[in-house]
Amino acid sequence: MSDLLPYLVGGLANGALYGLLALGFVLVYRATSVVNFAIGEFLLVGAYLTYTFALFLPLPLAILAALPLAFLFGLLVERGFVRPLLGRNVVAVIMATIGLAAALDGGVQLLWGPDLKYLPGSLPDLGFAMGEVFVPSRAVWNLLLAVPLGLLLLFLLRRSRYGVLVRAISEREVAALALGIPTARILAGVWGVSALLATLAGALLAAASGVGYNLVFLGLKVFPVAILGGFDSVGGALVAGFLLGALEALSQRYLEPILPGFTEALPFVVVLLVLLARPYGLFGERQIERV
Amino acid sequence: MLSVENLKVVYRGVILALDGVSLEVREGEAVALLGPNGAGKSSLVRAIAGLLPKFEGRVLDGHVRLMGREATHLDPVRISALGLTAVLEGRPLFRYLTPVENLVAAGHRLSPRELKEGMEEVFARFPRLYERRHEQAGYLSGGEQQMLLLGMALLTRPKLLVVDEPSLGLAPRLVAEVMATLDALRREKGLSLLLVEQNARAALSIVDRVYVLERGRVVFEGEAKAAAEDQDVMEFYLGKEEVGFRQARRYRRRKRWV
Repeated sequence: MSDLLPYLVGGLANGALYGLLALGFVLVYRATSVVNFAIGEFLLVGAYLTYTFALFLPLPLAILAALPLAFLFGLLVERGFVRPLLGRNVVAVIMATIGLAAALDGGVQLLWGPDLKYLPGSLPDLGFAMGEVFVPSRAVWNLLLAVPLGLLLLFLLRRSRYGVLVRAISEREVAALALGIPTARILAGVWGVSALLATLAGALLAAASGVGYNLVFLGLKVFPVAILGGFDSVGGALVAGFLLGALEALSQRYLEPILPGFTEALPFVVVLLVLLARPYGLFGERQIERV
Repeated sequence: MLSVENLKVVYRGVILALDGVSLEVREGEAVALLGPNGAGKSSLVRAIAGLLPKFEGRVLDGHVRLMGREATHLDPVRISALGLTAVLEGRPLFRYLTPVENLVAAGHRLSPRELKEGMEEVFARFPRLYERRHEQAGYLSGGEQQMLLLGMALLTRPKLLVVDEPSLGLAPRLVAEVMATLDALRREKGLSLLLVEQNARAALSIVDRVYVLERGRVVFEGEAKAAAEDQDVMEFYLGKEEVGFRQARRYRRRKRWV
């Protein structure tokens, strides 16, 4: 049992990042029905932005500096790639995000080079020992930032006036427009927040293990996490992130010796199994049938 | 207040929905727009609310003037800010939100205090909504949804209210209730009202003037009283009892050759 705990702590730390990333992804999906295939690239851009700032700022400040820029980046993506295509076939927008992903992949490598880079600074060490288990600093940071931020977003979405508007638009954009709600501005904000969350995840990853092109593959994890959470459930995304993180850790500990490489496939296997039992995912909303 | 001149609306570049419609709603006036299915009533509503692009439609020709300003190609947010609120057909409320949240969304321009007062006013008027204020609006009854929609429209603080088919799918008793509520609201708030209806009898009871739309054109225009007395309008839109299937068909045939 005691040899399991370190794995679990590491898994939850990863899960916090999955949760953050999936949160932004699901937020955009709910508000605009756009499946953002460039979410991994959002994370990548965020990580490189943090790296760039970290060259001449202490790391905590570098992350803080990267966040507003990331928000702006999200606005730009919405303005340039999504809004011109809104109202068209959803597939058109999705294809555009795939194209954007490819362009960003190339752009990032052109700008920053293809080699793995390590950040010059580091976050203050918050690691501590809990009995026999050592909780590493990166796990503390991940959880400390992801959990409150996720809960705050959920709270804002449920309770704030802005959150109500986002949910209203996501359900029926035309009705919102008829009430004079400035939908374009609000949706742009949602993209900004999504990019901001991805950047935070990217920054935390970069702080822990350096910046390289391979960060993009974390973006792939967003799909199983989001599907597991219910795809349109923001809270579900956060919970599913932790769940998958923990499951990966368990698999690493118990399955990897028997089935080498299985951990890579695990998220998708879990998704398949869950969807068989619950087509809406764990927290997906059921459609209201009566009108 | 609102004047529409020679408006032509086309969908997907080829389907002509309005073929030169002119219409006017004066300050404080209640006007009904009647007509059968497919006459273009909803297209007119979409056009004046600036929502045509959302339905793959556009204004081909003509003008919409709102509060003395050119508003033909204005976007819906500006139009709403000018004081026009359109309640589209098909109960356009947010079904996954509660009545309270629906009202919050509708009152997006209000200050927190105004919003609170406005909501209290709506709930005082519709006590039934207050009882179910924390349930998902999709589960409200048709009549309750219609009341919620009127409450939402009020919180946008309109000067001109456009309501598209509020009677659709409601029991006759509820239709009368909705009409009475509309009438009361209009008088209390000094609103102008453009009521789009298929249920002519219900609409005529609360309006001053009537336009009848047919295949994208205005085929009748006049006082509500005159409309009620006009044989043709009575027969074809008020649905006089003795108009059976046969007569309706003869009417169609006759119109076609006009």
